[in-house]
Amino acid sequence: MPVAKLPTFAPDLIALFEKRGTSRIETPVIQPAAPFLDMAGEDLRRRIFLTESDTGASLCLRPEFTIPVCLQHIESATGTPKRYAYLGQVFRQRREGANEFYQAGIEDLGDRDVASADARAISDAFASLTLALPGRTFTATLGDQSVFEAVVKALGLPTGWQKRLIHAFGNAMQIEMLLGELAEPQPAQPLAADIEAMLASGNLDALAAHVEETMHATGYLTNASRTPREIANRLAEKRALAATRLNPKALDVLEEFLSLDLPFADAAAALAGFADAAGLKLDGALSRFDARAAALANAGVDLKAITYRAAFGRPLDYYTGLVFEIAEAGKPAVLAGGGRYDRMLTLLGAKDHIPAVGFSLWLDRIELSKGAAA
Amino acid sequence: MITIALPSKGRMKEDASAIFARAGMNIVSVGNDRSYRGRVEGWDDVEIAFLSASEISREVGSGLVDFGVTGEDLMREEWAEVDARVEFAARLGFGHADVIVAVPEIWLDVDTMADLGDVAAEFRARHGRRLEIATKYWRLTQQHFSATHGIQLYRIVESLGATEGAPAAGQADIIVDITSTGSTLRANHLKILSDGVILKSEACLVRARKPEHEGNETVAKIISAVRAAL
Repeated sequence: MPVAKLPTFAPDLIALFEKRGTSRIETPVIQPAAPFLDMAGEDLRRRIFLTESDTGASLCLRPEFTIPVCLQHIESATGTPKRYAYLGQVFRQRREGANEFYQAGIEDLGDRDVASADARAISDAFASLTLALPGRTFTATLGDQSVFEAVVKALGLPTGWQKRLIHAFGNAMQIEMLLGELAEPQPAQPLAADIEAMLASGNLDALAAHVEETMHATGYLTNASRTPREIANRLAEKRALAATRLNPKALDVLEEFLSLDLPFADAAAALAGFADAAGLKLDGALSRFDARAAALANAGVDLKAITYRAAFGRPLDYYTGLVFEIAEAGKPAVLAGGGRYDRMLTLLGAKDHIPAVGFSLWLDRIELSKGAAA
Repeated sequence: MITIALPSKGRMKEDASAIFARAGMNIVSVGNDRSYRGRVEGWDDVEIAFLSASEISREVGSGLVDFGVTGEDLMREEWAEVDARVEFAARLGFGHADVIVAVPEIWLDVDTMADLGDVAAEFRARHGRRLEIATKYWRLTQQHFSATHGIQLYRIVESLGATEGAPAAGQADIIVDITSTGSTLRANHLKILSDGVILKSEACLVRARKPEHEGNETVAKIISAVRAAL
C-alpha cells in the first residue's frame, strides 16, 4: 500500500489558515465510532475502519474532521465564535484512491452573521486552492437547502409533506418518487372499524389510549420506543397526507425550481422572477440569498466562477443551508466541499444552538491535479 | 479434485443429501457417520466436506471449496459483490426463508418503507437517539435501507438470536430477520412491511468462480446432474 505523504504545500496552507484568523486544532486519529454512525448513518460503516476496544467500545480511525472538531469544541467549553483550522490524515475504505489521505479545512463555529460566515468559507476555500494550484481556474457549484424549504412552505403543502420533501432534498431519485406520489396519492389501507371510527371523528386521545392498551396487552413497553400518542398522531397525519394531491400547477412550480441551474450572478434575479411568476412569497429566503451574494462579492470572490444549482444539497438532517463544491474548470474531481451544518452541534450534545459552516480540501486530489497538466 | 461443502447436520444435511442422491451422486461419510469428510460413490474426483452453513458461505466465497450448499441469505450477507465471486448454479427448493423488515403490529401508521423513512427522519428529534434495528444481517439491511430506499438515519444493534423479541423488550425498535412461516413474527406481534421483503432466500448450489473450472467436465457434470434432479 502506498504511504500517504504530507503534501508539499501543507506548510503554506497552514500559514494561510493562520493568516485568516483561525486557530489550529489537532484531534486524535482514533475516535469513538458512534458519533459518525449517528450523524451520517449506518451506510458509513462499510466505508470506515472500525475496531473495538478492550471494553467493547466501538472505535474507528478518523474518517473526517468536522465531527471530531465539533466534539472537541463542545468538550473544551471555550465559547463561540471560534474558527478552527485542521490538517491531517483521514482514513476511509474507498474503491478508488488510497485508504489513507490528507484533508485540511476550516470549521467556523458560532458566527451569527450567516451571510458573511458563508462567504468567508467559500472565499477561504478558493484561496486555499489558488495557493495549492497557482494559475489554475476553478469553478464552484452552490446550492441552498433553505431556499428549497421556503419554496415548499410557500406552496402551502401539509407539514408532513414539507418534512418529507425537505428530508429528501439532495437525493434526486427520492425527490422524484415523492413528487410522483404527490401527483397521484395512493389510497390508504383501511384499518379495523373501531380505529377508523376514532380517526374519522378525530378522537386522537381515544386512539392513543387504544394503542396504549394494545401495547400493554401484547407485552410492549410504552416508553421504550414510539409512544402511543406519537403513533396516533402520525396515523392521523398520514391519512391527511394520503389525501393530499398537489395540483398540477404547483407540481410544475416545484419541478421548475428544482431544474434551476444558472450562473450565480444571475441567480438572485432568477429566483425573484421565479417567485413572482409562481406567486410564491420567498422574501426571507431571497433576502438571505442576496445578503450572501453581497458578502461573497465583498470578500472578493469572483461570482462568475460560481454556478447555482437549486437541486444541489446533501440529504443529511444536519445540513441546513449553503452547500458548495469546487473543482478545476472542466474537470470532474471535487477538490473542496463545504456547507452549513447549523443542526450538528446540538445533535452532538451542545447545549446552545451553534450555527456552523465549514469546508474541507481533498489534499490527495489536489496533489494529483498538481502533477497533471492544467 | 473437486470439493463440495455440504451442511453438516439437521434438515439441511438430509435435504441436500436427498437431492444429490436423486442426481445420481450418492454421498457416503468417510469413516464413521459423524465424520466431517465424505465422498460420492463412483465419483473418485469429488470429495465432500461437511461444514456449518455459515462456514460454507465463507469457504465457497473465498474459493477454498469449489461448490457449497448454503442459503442465499448467508452468501449475500457474507460477501460484497457476491455475484462476481460465485455463481448460484441451482436453487434447491428447500431451506426457504425470507429476509424481511418487521415493525411492531401496533405501529398502525407504518405499512411501507416510506413510512419507516418518515419515522426514522423524526426519531432523533423525538427520542434523542436514532431508530434502532436489531439484526444479524448488517449488509442486507444497509443495502435495503440506504441504497434501495434512501433511508440513512438508523442504527444497527447486533442481535445473534431471538431477534424477534428485541422490539417488545425495548432492545431495538424494529428488526430485520429471516422468517419462513411468519408464525414467530405473529407471536411477537410484529408485521412485515409491504415492501419489506429484502430477499426470498433458499438453499442453493453455489459455485466459486475459479478459472480452472473452465472446461472441467466434473464441474459441468455436477451442475447438470443437480439441475436435472430438481
